[in-house]
This record gives sequence, C-alpha cells and structure tokens, in this order.
Amino acid sequence: MSGSGSEPLLIDCARQQVRVIGALIVREMHTRFGRHRFGYLWLFFEPLLLGAMIALIHGFRGGDSVRNTFEFFSIGYIMFFAFRGMINRASSTITANRGLLYHRQVTLPDLFYARHIIEAVACTGVMAIFTIAGIALGGEPPDSIVKMLCALGLMVLLAQGIALVVGALTSEWEALDRLVHAMSYLMLPFSGLFFMVEWLPEWMQAIMLWVPTVHIFELLRDGQFGDRFRATYDLTYVAYWILVPHLLGLVGLRLARQRIGLE
Amino acid sequence: MKLSPPTIAFEAPAPEVEPTWSEAAPIPPPKPKSRLKRFLRHPFTWWVLAPTLLAIVYFYGFASPQYVSEARFVVRSRADAPQLSLGNMISAAVGGGGTSASGEAYSVRDFLTSHDAVMRTHEQLDLTRIWGREDADIIARLWNDDPERMTKYFNSMVSVSFDSSTGVVLLRVRSFSPEDSKAIADTLLRLSEQLINSLSSRAREDALRIARHEVGVAERRVLDSRDALTRFREQQHELDSAGAAQAAMQTMGQLEGTLTAARAELREREAFMRPDNVALQTTRNRIAALEHQITAERARHTQGGTGLSQQLAGFERLMLEREFADRQLASATASLETARMEAQRQQMYLARVVEPNLAVHPLYPRKLISVASIFLGLCVAFGIGWLLVTGMREHAV
Repeated sequence: MSGSGSEPLLIDCARQQVRVIGALIVREMHTRFGRHRFGYLWLFFEPLLLGAMIALIHGFRGGDSVRNTFEFFSIGYIMFFAFRGMINRASSTITANRGLLYHRQVTLPDLFYARHIIEAVACTGVMAIFTIAGIALGGEPPDSIVKMLCALGLMVLLAQGIALVVGALTSEWEALDRLVHAMSYLMLPFSGLFFMVEWLPEWMQAIMLWVPTVHIFELLRDGQFGDRFRATYDLTYVAYWILVPHLLGLVGLRLARQRIGLE
Repeated sequence: MKLSPPTIAFEAPAPEVEPTWSEAAPIPPPKPKSRLKRFLRHPFTWWVLAPTLLAIVYFYGFASPQYVSEARFVVRSRADAPQLSLGNMISAAVGGGGTSASGEAYSVRDFLTSHDAVMRTHEQLDLTRIWGREDADIIARLWNDDPERMTKYFNSMVSVSFDSSTGVVLLRVRSFSPEDSKAIADTLLRLSEQLINSLSSRAREDALRIARHEVGVAERRVLDSRDALTRFREQQHELDSAGAAQAAMQTMGQLEGTLTAARAELREREAFMRPDNVALQTTRNRIAALEHQITAERARHTQGGTGLSQQLAGFERLMLEREFADRQLASATASLETARMEAQRQQMYLARVVEPNLAVHPLYPRKLISVASIFLGLCVAFGIGWLLVTGMREHAV
C-alpha cells in the first residue's frame, strides 16, 4: 500500500481477507451461541420459531386470500428479521470485537462482513425450510426461486450498507444506538412486510415506493406468487440505496478506525 | 491494551491534493515527477475521468440530435356515465376501480409496446430506413432488422405511459428527424384506433349474436307450432276441436233430456193405459232407440285413439305450445333490443387529445444529465471499489 518496494499481489491480500473473515465467523458463532452441542442450531431455530409463530397467528386469523397464507408471512417475516437483526447488531459490532483490532489483519469492515454472512446463511436456510414446509402444507411451489434469492441477496446488501453506516456513526455517538432500535421497530409497518403495493390506495403507493425494502418485498412476492399479484418494483432504485450507504459506511469506518486506534 | 497503530489508508479522494497514493520507489527520487504525470497515473483518472471524457466527447461531439413527437389520447366508451350497480359499487369500494375503458387503455398500451405494433409500423413505414439512416450516429442507430432486436430498439425509442387518474395515454416517439417522429406517432395512433375499433365491434357482435340467436330460435318455434296446428286440423277435418266437443256435449244433453222426458211419459201412460196399448209400445220403442243412440254417442266420443277426448287433448296441447312460442318470441325480441342499446352504449372509441407535433428543437439526447449521471455513478462505484481494494490490501502480512 504505502510504498514498500515489493507490494504483495492483490489476490494474496484477498485470500488473506477471506481467511480473516472465516476466522471471525467461527469466533462470532462461539461467542453468540456458546460451545454447546446444539448451539449452532439456534442460529436457525430462532428465526424459524419466530417466523412460524407469526405466520400461524396470521394463518388462523382466517381469510382465504393469499394474504393470510403461511408462505406470505413466514418468508417475509424472516427476511425482515434478518434485516432488523443486522442493523440492530451493527452498533455493538465494534465494541464487542475491539480486542481483535490488536491484530493488524483484522479490519473494521471484516467484523461486519462476518456477522452479515452468518445472518445471510441463516436466513437462506430458514427460507428454504419454510418454502418446503409451505409446499408440504399444500401450498403451491414458488414461481421463481431465482427471484426469491435475488430479493434475499438485495435485502442482505441493503442491510449491510445501512449497518456499515450505523456502525460508523455509533462508534462516534453511542446514543444513536437507541434511536436505531426504535427506528427499526417503527419501520415494521412500512417495510412492505404486511402488504403488497397493489392493495394500497394510489396516494399511499407513491409514498410507499420511496421505501427501499418495499421494492425488495415486492420482488420476493413476485418470485413466490408469480402472476397472482401485480408486483411493482424498481431495482435501480434499490441499487442506489445499496451503493450510497456502502460508500458512506466504508468511508465512515475508515475515519472511525483512526479514532479507535487513538484511544 | 495497546492497539495497533491504524493504517493510514484513507487518502485524498481527489488526485490534486496530497498524492500519497503514488507508488514511490524505495529511494524516493529527489524531485517527484511532474504533477501531470502523477495525475495521469492515478486510477481515478483511468476509471472515472477517462470514461466521463469519452461520454462528453460522444454526447457533445458525435451524438446526432433526436426529435420527440408527442401525442396524447384517451379511450372513451359511450357509457362514461357511471352505472349505479352493486358490482360497480363493490369494485369501487375494494379499490380495484377501473372502468372497462381504462382496461382498454391498458390493452392499447400493451399493444403499442408489442412486436405486433412494431411489425405493422414497419410494414407501413420501413423502420430500418428511419432509425438506421446514415447520418445518425453509430451508437444510437438501429443496426439489426430482425424482429426481436427491432422490438427492443423500438421500446427504447417509443414510450407509452398511462395515467390512471386522468385516463390519458401519453405516447412519445424519438427519431433522428422531426418528420419521421411525427410519421411514426401518426401511424401508431392509427393502429391504436384500429385496435380499439376492432375490439369494440367484436364486443358488440358478441353481445348481439347471442340475442339474435335467441330470436331465431323463438321464431322457429312459433312457425313450428302454427304448422303443427294446421296439420292437426287437416288431419281431423275440424277447424276447432273445442267447438266440436262443445257441440257433442250439446247433442248428448239433448238426447239425455229427450230420454228423461220419454221415460216420464211412459211412466205417466202406464198409470192409465193397458199394458198392451199401442201408444205405450211406441214410447217404449222410442226410449230404447234413445238409449241406443246415447250409448253410441258416448262410445264415439270417449273411445281411445280417435275419440273426441283424445282429439281435444291434442288440440289443447297445440294451442298451449303456440301461446308459449308467442311469448318466447316477444321476450327474445325485447332482449335483442336491450342488447342492441347496451352495445351502442358500450361502444368505445379513441379520442385524440393532443395530435402528434412536429418538433423543432431536439430534446434528446440529454447531454448534461447523461454526462453528470455517468460521472456520479462512476465516482460512487470507484469509491466503493477503492475502499474494498484498500481494505483488502490492509490484510497484507
């Protein structure tokens, strides 16, 4: 980087970073779920239980429309669960792993990447389980699994961008943590989890389409239900929401790293 | 705890300030290379400035002007006055509002972006000549004339949008000369008009065909019943079986009356005449004759097959059939009339709100917006890429 005659190849650095992130994932799993025998399985159980409960409550509340089916809520809910989990944990990421920064190879974004990979894997696994369960319960198989996975990937990237920003900001202002928690709860009704844009009155549709998660949920439902709804989404808009927070977050983390080092 | 000293990796975003990024030799040269050289070697120059420069050269140097022709139209049906029916009220309450005319507008919009519209326009106007002309710049020009790519290109040059609150469809056509744009817009409007007319007449035909068929069936039934009645009359040599039955009943009544009178007369005469009196014998003969006649009459009228009762039943059935047929014809004619009125009311047409215009000033390509968005997009992409790469480099052992 800074002019040391024989600069290492970029590919070696990348390999090294992958190793670091892998090690961080293992560490994160240990600290979060302990060393019990079935500890890691909690990674899947937690969203599985939550999603199933919510879906069952809505399922029993009645109604024949797709709105009340098992798939509509279970899969949507775990995606929002992953999104909220990533953003809420962002504030503790740096403080929890401060000791690791002693090692030169561990950078701040690595800590976030490791956590997000864990969340993404858990969410994908639970999504697969719910999809299979939905088919087993007599539902129709999803229209396009690729679209569902795209939605999941975009959701993770969006959450990662926001989490990087939140992580950078909370390293400077601790109090922001509370605000982020409150915001992530308040976002629930507006996230697109409970509705399709099509069902809303026109004036509300225009407002809701400003929320990036609404587009992602529409994409998810397009993959799940296909032609049964008219999905409206604009992935370019979501891409802006992914790229700009990434830029801000990564810059913010670089600035934060200098301060943390000085403490 | 002692933390490792942070790697100072966040350097100046702009190349002009503090060029710490340059690959300095182990022994730095006494005088760094000229500013220009360092500027030229910076990745920012290559990844962001150079593409932006290319875009500027293209947009301001080569890009041929594109002229927009714009037209607006609405799809109307005569039944624009809302029908106050339960179905409409429910659909309006649910929010799935939308009259049939807006549905037609959607289908016009879908038609205008389809390969069908492209091919029909191509037949009339030769789109390869319009969009592939020699003086158009090579990037914006149409190169292929196979239907799929032409449809794709068509959709990039023609935009159709439907405003669901006002019901106006907006058609915008771009091409390299104002006349061509207007010609394409005119052709597309004409094609849309044809589509709406064919849809409308098809719907009308469908509605009327069923009603006409019903009337035909009813007419045939009326004729059949008349025929059957005539045939029955010819067969039975009687105009009115009901009348014949009436007459037979009268005959029977008279015979019965005469018989009763004769019996009374016999009883009366027996009281004072000797049994072998001639007059008495005459009366007895008359009674016997009358009884015989009554039996014969009764047999004639009630015997199976040709009996009057059978005849009467057949006649009444035919009369009933004729009456039903008449009523069916009347109701079928009435519903045909209703269907005709309904069809007339639902007839749709395409009303032009704004005629296609002949552009004077080229609105496209939007040079400044395109260049600025290319520059901004590349900046963001470069920033993220640079951050990721330097992040990786920090892992160097």
